[in-house]
Amino acid sequence: MTTLQDAPQTVAPPEPSPGARPGAGVARTVLAYAALGAATLLVLLPLVWMVSSALKRDNEVFAIPVEWIPREFRWSNFVEIWDRVPLLTYLGNSAFLSVTIAFLQVLTGSFAAYGFAKVRFPGRDALFLAYIATIAVPWQAYMVPQYIMMQRAELTNTFWSIILLQAFGAFGVFLMRQYYMSIPDDLCEAARIDGLSEYGIYRRIMLPLSKPALASLALLTFVSTWNDYMGPFIYLTSNELWTVQLGLRSFVGQYEAEYAMIMTGAVLSVLPILVIFLFGQRYFIRGIATSGLKG
Amino acid sequence: MAQATAPGPARVRRSRRAILVGWSFILPNFLGFALFTLVPMAAAFALAFLDWDSYGTPEWVGLENFEQLIGDENFHVALRNTLYYAAGHIPLTLVAALALAIVLNRKLRGVNFFRTAAFFPYITSLVAVAAVWNMLFNPTAGPVNQVLEALGVAEPPRWTASTDWAMPAVIVTSVWRDMGYYMVLYLAGLQTIPREYYEAARVDGAGAWQRFWNITLPCLRPTTFFVLVMLTIQSFKVLDLIVVMTDGGPGRSTLVLAQLVYREGITEGRFGYSSAIALVLFVIVLTVTVAQFRLNERRNTP
Amino acid sequence: MTTSTRHLTKGLAATAALALALTACGSGGGEPAADGTTTLTVTVWNLAKTPEFKALFDAFQKANPGVKIQPVDILADDYPEKVTTMLAGGDKTDVITMKNVTDYSRYSSRGQLADLTDLVKSADTSKLAGLDAFDVSGKYFALPYRQDFWLLYYNKKLFDEAGTEYPDGLTWDEYAELAKKLTKGEGSEKVYGTYHHTWRSVVQAVSAAQTGGDQLGGDYAFFTDQYTMAVGLQQAGAAIDFGTATSQKSDYRTMFETAKTAMMPMGTWYISGILEAKAGGATDVEWGLAPMPQRPGATEVTTFGSPTAFAVNNRAEHADLARKFVQFAASQAGAEAITKVGVVPALQSPEITEAYFALDGMPTDELSKKAFEPDKVVLEMPVSEHTSDVDTILNEEHQLIMVGDKTAAEGIQSMNDRVKSEVLD
Repeated sequence: MTTLQDAPQTVAPPEPSPGARPGAGVARTVLAYAALGAATLLVLLPLVWMVSSALKRDNEVFAIPVEWIPREFRWSNFVEIWDRVPLLTYLGNSAFLSVTIAFLQVLTGSFAAYGFAKVRFPGRDALFLAYIATIAVPWQAYMVPQYIMMQRAELTNTFWSIILLQAFGAFGVFLMRQYYMSIPDDLCEAARIDGLSEYGIYRRIMLPLSKPALASLALLTFVSTWNDYMGPFIYLTSNELWTVQLGLRSFVGQYEAEYAMIMTGAVLSVLPILVIFLFGQRYFIRGIATSGLKG
Repeated sequence: MAQATAPGPARVRRSRRAILVGWSFILPNFLGFALFTLVPMAAAFALAFLDWDSYGTPEWVGLENFEQLIGDENFHVALRNTLYYAAGHIPLTLVAALALAIVLNRKLRGVNFFRTAAFFPYITSLVAVAAVWNMLFNPTAGPVNQVLEALGVAEPPRWTASTDWAMPAVIVTSVWRDMGYYMVLYLAGLQTIPREYYEAARVDGAGAWQRFWNITLPCLRPTTFFVLVMLTIQSFKVLDLIVVMTDGGPGRSTLVLAQLVYREGITEGRFGYSSAIALVLFVIVLTVTVAQFRLNERRNTP
Repeated sequence: MTTSTRHLTKGLAATAALALALTACGSGGGEPAADGTTTLTVTVWNLAKTPEFKALFDAFQKANPGVKIQPVDILADDYPEKVTTMLAGGDKTDVITMKNVTDYSRYSSRGQLADLTDLVKSADTSKLAGLDAFDVSGKYFALPYRQDFWLLYYNKKLFDEAGTEYPDGLTWDEYAELAKKLTKGEGSEKVYGTYHHTWRSVVQAVSAAQTGGDQLGGDYAFFTDQYTMAVGLQQAGAAIDFGTATSQKSDYRTMFETAKTAMMPMGTWYISGILEAKAGGATDVEWGLAPMPQRPGATEVTTFGSPTAFAVNNRAEHADLARKFVQFAASQAGAEAITKVGVVPALQSPEITEAYFALDGMPTDELSKKAFEPDKVVLEMPVSEHTSDVDTILNEEHQLIMVGDKTAAEGIQSMNDRVKSEVLD
């Protein structure tokens, strides 16, 4: 599990490269920015198009040739949509579900991950394997048995169903465990000698050390809940419980030709995520970074 | 994982207590996980050996569902398409993610912006992604084909409107969507490679390509392994993107296994048969993943 | 130790608080309210865009004080999936709307719907069009309330501009010629002669109805002429090509309402759509109705159609009230209610037709009235245990023919082979 064990000791000496050293720095930077700019543009192109379409009239969306910049910016689309769809309710529901699920996932996931990573007991690895294996099963396969259970418990058409189904996922446990594995056992051992219980170690040592991973798990869970369509579609029937994705899809289904309005809805549905991501970005990237390499 | 299994001598004594403590950590999550994931999953797999139409009493049919699978052309088509998708999605995403990570692993002003941008497709909602890409791939008015025509391609592919190009269109979209996520993993891997390695190589006169080949790639192997496993699982389970982009069409050209599971089960109500397909899919993914673990272990212990 | 426990307790308390907050959010469906009203739940799709539901509900509530109907709004595209899951899970929603006959056959064969045979037997149902489609070996599990059939919509203005007569009594060949003649313009200004939506019925159900072919039979040679015509129009540029239509999720309403097409074979359900769009000022299209084009030598007007019905969930919470609602929807009162919003009711009578054409915005010419009374309406897709499997195959091969991946002959050959080997054997 250590990262660097495969690193080569030496590199066979090739012939020296005759490239000019001085002056290359500036050229390099320029080149790097150009490459970055090009790559970013390519990656963002569909999104740019999405935003641009959101500001057009319906019949301008498919104009030939493509108009990247709208002839006139119809900001009114962004005003109108609030009257067309109860977007505020949907956003609120999505936010509530995403925050709750992310919170529970982080709480129980990190707790369980500590058990898997740092407490040794028989049967632990088999249990962990069961966790991992479930990631490989497509949800559609057990959707109906799950639904039947929820129906019997009379939890369908409540937020409970979605929360209970998504808050205890295996992914969070996996991610957090990988992270805890990277924290040296000596640290826990020292704490034990100091008289700290396992719970104390979790609380006092692991949690503070794993803040980035917690943040990244929270964000990932938040994003996946926010973007989930099938779960809310199957379980949430009443319109007042609908999430943004349900609302957006229903809007697309009913007003197929209102391309500009659809794009406006899409932009608005993405916006909250973007804001959260920008705030949490630093933690986020560091978080996955550290847990990611412990393959 | 191998290290974790070896019991430290100091801990053997405390075994019973350890079980209690260990379970106390796992329990809160496990209760929810077992009840809402494991139990339904076990029920679903049991269904593979039953005949059940979602209403009446299930009937035991043994391996009948699996025998039916062997002769089912839809299953063959879906299996082939799934493998096709995986064969395209896994390597392309891997390469794209690695390339992005290398480009973005620099100390440049504003690099965070670029990283965020690259990660953005992953967090965008699927509904929006599908709508945008379908418009981009529009065979007559779509920007993709307009660009191709401007570049002198006389008859650009008809993308989602053609059986040959629908899968490539789906793969392109999925690579675009996922590469940012794996890029972040690679970025993390890159940041752990000690600078001294590169400096030593430079002193030895190694070119950029040689440094990449002899230092970067080997040092990234653990990351690559992790990415590969996650990508494999994800590729074999693909459904959402296909449903919103092509819904398996035209014809059956983008029909994948997970979609067949959905169709046979939810749409047609043949839950036993649907579960049998899911079980086969599960076994395939598990086999590939275990093989990847084995290969990885062998490589790590020369 | 103590600090950590305290923190944990705090965490648990927070969770519990959250749990309590959640309970407040969850709300069950059909519990009788404190004020004595009974709530009847009905599954519907795209409520906002399907005015007949509201019209029916309002009428029923007016006729039955103390009853409140609560629609369960489901996205039309995924309606069958959701209803299947709901019924499998033992959902107690009272009335289940049968969007099509195929789904009806599934639910009824699984025993998920209540037997309504006595309702059918107790009343005069001779005028209830489409009832036969719900006959499952002598038993009925649903009653139709609307009956849609296909006819030809056309844009009067585009016909006038081209100096062409309105499409009366066309054969398919004449229709194709006319479509080519009416096509004009280029790029985003292009006006197509006709628009064939991407559904397989546009080609397949029409030819089955008019040739008497059996869509469950396993021999599809009778599709040939219709495919030749449809593919030909597409190649000639007189109809938008299938691939473009699918990838931009083309909307037939827009095609017609923005005058992008001069003609369009479509179901009668669209009438209410146009009426609404015109009333709301969304379009100023001048439209008319004409009978479906026929095969050469046909003596009467044959088209296809499909009924929509209400059924009672076998686990309905308010079964009696649900039965009452189903009966109401199929009755004269129900028919009148939906006629007002431009929907064609299953119950047919001269008064209803008259009321229908008296609607604000309806075309009043003789041709439109003639179009509204076809001689024969054949069920869009016959119902049997094989229906949905055959439907899937026919749809897949339809796509392949229409995108040009297979010729009509190859596609039909493949339909024959696949239906025989995958379904009938």
